[in-house]
Amino acid sequence: MEVKGSKELLEGVVDAGLCTFCGGCAGGCPYLLPYQGRIVLLDNCTLSEGQCYQYCPRTYTDLDAVSQKVFGVPFSKDEVGIVREIFLARSTDAEIHEKAQDGGTVTTLLSVALAEGVIDGAVETKMSDDKTPSGFIARNREELLQCAGDSYEPSPVLEALNHIPKESTEKLGVVGLPCHVTSVSKRKTYPPQNRVNINNVKLVIGLFCGWDLTNGFHQFLREKFDLSQVIKFDIPHHPAHTFDLYTKSGKESVELDEIKKFINPACSYCWDMTAELADISVGSGRAMFKGWNTVIIRSKAGAKLMDIARKKGALETQPIPIESLTNLKRVALKRKKKALGNIIAKTGDKKNLLYLGLPEDMVNKLLA
Amino acid sequence: MPDIDVDAPGTIQLLMGNEAIARGALEGGIGFASSYPGTPASEILPAIAEVAKRMNIYAEWSVNEKVAMEAAAGASFAGIRSLVAMKANGLNVACDFLANLQMTGIGGGIALVVCDDPGSISSTNEQYTGIVGKWMGMPLLEPSSAQEAKDMTKWALDISEEVGLVCMVRSVTRVSHTRGNVKLGELPKNGKKAYFSDLWDMYKPKMSGFSAMGSALPRGWQHHLVHQKLAKVPEKFEASPFNWYVGPDKAELLIITTGSCWPYSLEAVKELKLEDKVGILKLGTTWPLPEKLVEKQLSRTRKILFVEEIEPFIEGSVMELVANLPSGSPHLTFYGKRSGHMKAYGDYDPVLVANVIASIMSVTYQPRDSKYGQKIEELAKVAPIRTMQFCPGCPYRAAFWTIKDALKVDGRDGFVTGDIGCYTLGNIGAGYFQVRTHSAMGSGAGVANGLGNLRQFGFNQPVLAMCGDSTFYHAAIPALINGIWNDSNFILIMMDNSTTAMTGHQPHPGTGTNVLGEPAKAIDMEALCRSLGARVEVCDPFDLKNTTSTLLELMAEGGGAKVLIIRRECELVRARKEKKAPYQMRIDTNKCIGEDCGCNRVCTRLFQCPGLAWDKEAGKAKIDEAICAGCGLCADICPQGAIIKERVS
Repeated sequence: MEVKGSKELLEGVVDAGLCTFCGGCAGGCPYLLPYQGRIVLLDNCTLSEGQCYQYCPRTYTDLDAVSQKVFGVPFSKDEVGIVREIFLARSTDAEIHEKAQDGGTVTTLLSVALAEGVIDGAVETKMSDDKTPSGFIARNREELLQCAGDSYEPSPVLEALNHIPKESTEKLGVVGLPCHVTSVSKRKTYPPQNRVNINNVKLVIGLFCGWDLTNGFHQFLREKFDLSQVIKFDIPHHPAHTFDLYTKSGKESVELDEIKKFINPACSYCWDMTAELADISVGSGRAMFKGWNTVIIRSKAGAKLMDIARKKGALETQPIPIESLTNLKRVALKRKKKALGNIIAKTGDKKNLLYLGLPEDMVNKLLA
Repeated sequence: MPDIDVDAPGTIQLLMGNEAIARGALEGGIGFASSYPGTPASEILPAIAEVAKRMNIYAEWSVNEKVAMEAAAGASFAGIRSLVAMKANGLNVACDFLANLQMTGIGGGIALVVCDDPGSISSTNEQYTGIVGKWMGMPLLEPSSAQEAKDMTKWALDISEEVGLVCMVRSVTRVSHTRGNVKLGELPKNGKKAYFSDLWDMYKPKMSGFSAMGSALPRGWQHHLVHQKLAKVPEKFEASPFNWYVGPDKAELLIITTGSCWPYSLEAVKELKLEDKVGILKLGTTWPLPEKLVEKQLSRTRKILFVEEIEPFIEGSVMELVANLPSGSPHLTFYGKRSGHMKAYGDYDPVLVANVIASIMSVTYQPRDSKYGQKIEELAKVAPIRTMQFCPGCPYRAAFWTIKDALKVDGRDGFVTGDIGCYTLGNIGAGYFQVRTHSAMGSGAGVANGLGNLRQFGFNQPVLAMCGDSTFYHAAIPALINGIWNDSNFILIMMDNSTTAMTGHQPHPGTGTNVLGEPAKAIDMEALCRSLGARVEVCDPFDLKNTTSTLLELMAEGGGAKVLIIRRECELVRARKEKKAPYQMRIDTNKCIGEDCGCNRVCTRLFQCPGLAWDKEAGKAKIDEAICAGCGLCADICPQGAIIKERVS
């Protein structure tokens, strides 16, 4: 890939409205930092090539090259990416269920990984007292539980990865949305310089993602509610149409239509619903399987961990009904077409797909 | 500093111009001296303060030049002779009071010493303050040497008391900061007694009916009294030994000059070997012009060149004089600012003057070898570009670093309105170009007031007004009160380094000492600001994280004026007190990644403390041990933790 510098990153991604605030560019140097939903460039580093540009999921990404590195095979043509196994799962641990968004599968998998020494720490998102998300390294069960639950806002979690000292030998897990996963995958493909060794990352868990909420959303919530009292946020799936806040005293709701104006416009260019480059991808069980997760195992590392979790009885699983799988693929494909359409509308040129480095035949098939 | 009170009249002492002025004040019998620090006047008061106790003189740094002038006038009203010293801008501050003082009259003689800075070597603007002499009706003296500086200051006190007007001595950098041989005069032996009597008996207008109203009030109709008093002065000036002529009886060209331009003119004429053709009339008494003397000298020549800096002051006075000469008088050609021969800005030097004389006299003048310019350019390639910088360890570097970051993070194009002090360097790279406006003392807060009340026009940029600790007491308090009262949205950042640093570490109302080095009441800055009803926060700029986040919080808060005191002692003051550095600094070259992505020399390229250097060959940073103050701040800047600080035991 052609690598450019921080100036081009700001112009081509941030100012162009493509930034998802994943934090992949931030924390690795004194110049870039995430602040209240914006990537701030404190000073111009003046380098013509930078890792900020290289690892951004919204700069050109050669998906074949990345897939070769991560999975050893070319990029999958499947609507939901590489699938070794797909099923429904939920935690057997009551304490995890209490904190969990849906089935508690991610927290359980990380818990097992920590206990087995597969990882020493998990880079994931933790919410502050007023529910602002940011990167955090959880190194024990207590800390894992603190990270459970969705903030529904963009989280610069990869800043925490960038902050890890380069001499560190800690084995790491990373949890993120598809954009975070893409950034980590680019790191695996083009190994970092003066950063922590990317081979320390033993496990990447990606979350299914539709969109997140930004541009004044946090202030909107803060003005309406005392966020320090909130235990959990939730957007229950169709046919429900609310944004819910759970506090100790009960549940508050906001009409979904009221918050749709806060949907991150950058998400309209995102085509990866199921985090196709992760070892394990985890989504909600949706309305039909409330309290469960949809789980896709993609890599050897993912399969190995899942095996251990099964043997330990940490997760309860069941097969995914064919209708659910068909629906998932249908929605994922629809998403890809829509994103591609939005990208082409933005560039005005079918040949300029911004960050998407897809094989041409795949593009043509999607556009047909 | 030499002891300027040595009682040895007739002996020679090597004195700085300002020290000579102080000596002149002693010889003139002052009992009171007041001043505010300002280059190039700052040395005058401390020289007096050094001997104040022995000489039974009261000396003080005043909070600003207006109060200094007023305080001196108060002493004068009680019959005590006083000296007030200030730089040109200080005179601007004192003018309102001075304009009124001239109308009411004075008691004991007052010498007002104003030191100008042509070329703005250490000022924000340049002015010729002699014009104020004309405006306010003050007899004006301009010394050209340390000797004259002394003699004129003494004489100013005498004239002032005799005539009943403040008398002005106008110096410049080159005279105030020169050192020269000064022949000392007699020191007065009489005691001083202060009593405020009804002076006005002496100066009351001789008009019936009005006398009962009292004339302490400066009325417009007392203006003619000023002219009456001033009319007594030319006679003294005509006979003054401060005016002289050197040169041929009949000159092809007559230079009329004053002050520091006298040595420039003398040297220029000598350099051109034109002593037999060019004469120089040097005036020391420049207002009111000694017209008879000048007229007499004009008869030597048909060509006149005026060599005076900044304003065509003598040029104008002489042209007025010539315009009134009887018709049939020989036609004179003038060379000066009006003709375009002499620049009307900046300071002069002998080469500049020689060039002008050479062109008028049609002689060639080659001040240096023709290849000189070329040689300099070659040399310049070897010498690195050096700009002004904060001292290593200066708390203002840290403060501007946090301000730069906070404004960028805030993201609304905020900026700093600046003021006068070391932190003025915030205008340039030293302070990361953060300061965007700049004028007079207290103007940072003043200008911010307007910017903070433009909400109705869609303005939402954060406004950070800046002032120093001494500047705050001098001028910024009214502006802060205005901002609170008028709900102007700005943050007053008080750069408190606990001294008046830029002018030489003088004390101020917050430092707890006075000019004599004695303990004095220290004004509590936070308490003062809080009592005005503003939110006040105090931060140590070396705590980068806390200072940046406090700034962000204050900017996000909005609302009316608030105060952030960024406080840390001036490094030079700390070093003098503690005599050793807090840390030993070194670079761990294994950790330093130099020009790589992840740094690219943030310490030497951006942060730019002069204690840090770049080893080009090794591609690593290094500490310049001769310059590093060991403050430890750079260790917090390095993204790799490659700058190591070790506590010095």
